[in-house]
Amino acid sequence: MDKKVVFAVAGSGKTKLIIDSLDTVKNSYIITYTVSNHKNLQDRVVRKFGYLPENIKLYTYFAFIYSFCYKPFCHDIVNTKGINYTTQPSQFFKKETRGHYIDKGDRLFSSRIAKYLIDFEIIDDVVERLNKYADNIFIDEIQDFASNDFNFILHLAKVDVQLLYVGDFHQHTFDTSRDGSTRKNLHADYRLYQKEFEKGSIIVDTSTLLKSWRCSKTICDYISKHLKIDIESNRTDTGIIKYLTDPAEIQDVFKDNSIIKLFFKMHYNYECYSKNWGDCKGEDHYSDVCVVLNDTTFKKYLAGDLHNLAPSTKNKLYVAITRTKNNLYFISEKLLKKNEEVSHAASR
Amino acid sequence: MNHILKIKLFNFKRFETFEVVLDPKLNIIVGDNESGKSTLLEAVDITLSGSRHKVEAKGLENLFNATVISDFLKSDRKYENLPELYVELYLSDQFDPDLNGKNNSDIKTCDGIKFQCQPNHALGKEIKEILKNPASIFPFEFYSISFTTFSATAYSSYKKYLRHLLIDNSQMSTEYAIKEYVRDIYSSVATPLEKSKHQNEYRKHKDEFRKNTLQALDTKLDGYKFLIKSSSKSNLETDLALSENQINIENKGKGIQCFIKTKFALSRASSEMDLVLLEEPENHLSHINMKKMIDLISHADNRQILVSTHSNSVSARLDLRKSILINSSSTVPILLSGIDEPTAKFFMKAPDKNLLDFVLSKKVILVEGDAEFILMEAFYRNTYADELHNSDITIISVDGTSFKRYLNIANKLGIKTAVIRDNDGKYQKNCIDNYSDYAAFTNIKIFSETDDLISTFEISLYNKNTAICEQIFKTPRRTLPILDYMLTNKAEAAYVLLDKKADELSVPQYIKDALQWIKK
Repeated sequence: MDKKVVFAVAGSGKTKLIIDSLDTVKNSYIITYTVSNHKNLQDRVVRKFGYLPENIKLYTYFAFIYSFCYKPFCHDIVNTKGINYTTQPSQFFKKETRGHYIDKGDRLFSSRIAKYLIDFEIIDDVVERLNKYADNIFIDEIQDFASNDFNFILHLAKVDVQLLYVGDFHQHTFDTSRDGSTRKNLHADYRLYQKEFEKGSIIVDTSTLLKSWRCSKTICDYISKHLKIDIESNRTDTGIIKYLTDPAEIQDVFKDNSIIKLFFKMHYNYECYSKNWGDCKGEDHYSDVCVVLNDTTFKKYLAGDLHNLAPSTKNKLYVAITRTKNNLYFISEKLLKKNEEVSHAASR
Repeated sequence: MNHILKIKLFNFKRFETFEVVLDPKLNIIVGDNESGKSTLLEAVDITLSGSRHKVEAKGLENLFNATVISDFLKSDRKYENLPELYVELYLSDQFDPDLNGKNNSDIKTCDGIKFQCQPNHALGKEIKEILKNPASIFPFEFYSISFTTFSATAYSSYKKYLRHLLIDNSQMSTEYAIKEYVRDIYSSVATPLEKSKHQNEYRKHKDEFRKNTLQALDTKLDGYKFLIKSSSKSNLETDLALSENQINIENKGKGIQCFIKTKFALSRASSEMDLVLLEEPENHLSHINMKKMIDLISHADNRQILVSTHSNSVSARLDLRKSILINSSSTVPILLSGIDEPTAKFFMKAPDKNLLDFVLSKKVILVEGDAEFILMEAFYRNTYADELHNSDITIISVDGTSFKRYLNIANKLGIKTAVIRDNDGKYQKNCIDNYSDYAAFTNIKIFSETDDLISTFEISLYNKNTAICEQIFKTPRRTLPILDYMLTNKAEAAYVLLDKKADELSVPQYIKDALQWIKK
């Protein structure tokens, strides 16, 4: 059976790749990390079939690992009730002791559910379960799987069913979980990252989805040049990239509710149609986008040195830029704050 | 067909632990009164229903094993020793991941569902406080009731993994029971969607009646209006009845009611049903209807059936091999599935026998005729100066030729069985060669006179007690030799001996031997 990870660029049709593999016969399990992407995929499935077919099961990652993988084999025996997402396990408890995985209130540490399954070899039961009930398994946003969860998805490759992981290395903006030094440098080097999949007998495909449908050639060229992230466009048309300095122009864009304003963080401090860079991942409905550059990023922007941003900032910026289907505007956050109309709105 | 593979009970009513593997089609649960036949059906019914309401209506104090509760109260009452209760139904593979997992007491990955009552640990502190008081009663109110699948997914009455119907013929004909039954039948044939539609239509019709017919009266009410009630106490399901030939079954005899219900439950019309639970179908039925009922049950092959019965004949005539015996003194069921076909078929056709007594016993003496049966108690008393019923030995009188049928069962179940028979003038042939197949089994032994001349029990008895027999049976007008008289009036003669000279009778040696062997 095919086991493959497809690394794609933004807007190249990752979701479509999954949706196109679905029918009303095969038992398909689709796992996403974020809730917004779960919703996005559900909408796409409903759009394809007109309803949510019974043979297609959609899970967010933690619902999947807890309800589908952990509970059937451990719930009664281990005697747990739910997941603790907020605290990190104490380093005091040794591996394979209860406290290593489970808090005093009998809740599993979210970062160690995968570790529990691996350490106690429940993973074999999980693999058997998937072999029985699934014909194919899809995991989206694979780049966000970190630490023990990354080990878990490698272990899943033991299944005898079709396995397709999709993701975009450069859109790595979150981690499913962190656990000390476990896989700490996983995302440090793209090539080594790919090697980890290969070691787990998963074929790495970096060519199928190398071209973006969403972003025009102009945008793709800009990203390749300035962020030094490889991305090509399937399109031949061009778009506009504009750095706004004129106060009137800034006001127009700021007030235009057809243009989303994407902020590094705390977008809610501005009274406009806005979001944070990292939060718009997986979204595909913006015609024009205005990226607001925070001070650090702005300095790098001016110096033509965007590719040397901290990796997580760079990835978020990449996500933000690639949301646009047509035009892209840059505004310096400083300039935005100085703008009377805007700051007036902000202070209200 | 989806069906139950295995039932496991823990602290449920009289069963502290109990486990039984079921046949995919027919299962006949046989047992004495109070043996737990109905309990088994009740456990299955509760678990499949997924209804917390049903459990609350019955009351946890009535479902928990009484011994376990009282033992706990007598103990040091440690919180961690609070007993729990569960019923597990292991199901055939339904290819549903929600059913499949290891959350069962076998700790085996399989399909199944579970009904469980545990202390509600969120209230642990309060429970501890209560237990501290030595005069406190058991804290049932602090227990939580859960219905979960083996994958640890909760289910309720809305989600049915196995569609079932319970026909309780022992509690028939109360208005409530009939309503409940009709509702069950309705639910088993109507999908949830249809039910919603029907309820809606019914309410609409009621309202139309109010508008079109009843409303005319409202003018006389001076501001008030008549309404047709629509609530949980008056709706489609409460108004529904079942009729046959335009007669509401409520107005038919109890026996016929049972019959109709069973017939319906087993018919193909209710094809959505996976399992039928039949509680004592023999109740209220005439012999003829009983035969028809047995016919019905044995021909229903499209679903799993669990029948509870205290009738020998129901069990034997349906198929002994599908019988599960529950004994009131032990909690281990005895399965008769290993019995060979000719033996099972023999008991299907043979006249009603005390087969149940036989299979539920540990030690049995099989005798050939009524005479031996009548005198055996006296023989025992004269030999051991004790009453037979104080021992756990059962005496069963069988037709001489069918000893081997019983021995086949004794073999399967390991029942210690002594056969006491006549040699009929051919000791070697009748009593040795005839049973050569059983010679190797230590739990079976044949006892008879070895002298071909002492061919029957009566000759042996007469030889041993000549004086007594001569004295009792001698009458002025009797010309027949006494022995011949005894041979032609076997049961009558035995009865007279028991009545008049029971204490003085000497016991024939081969019977003594048999008693000594079985007693060991």
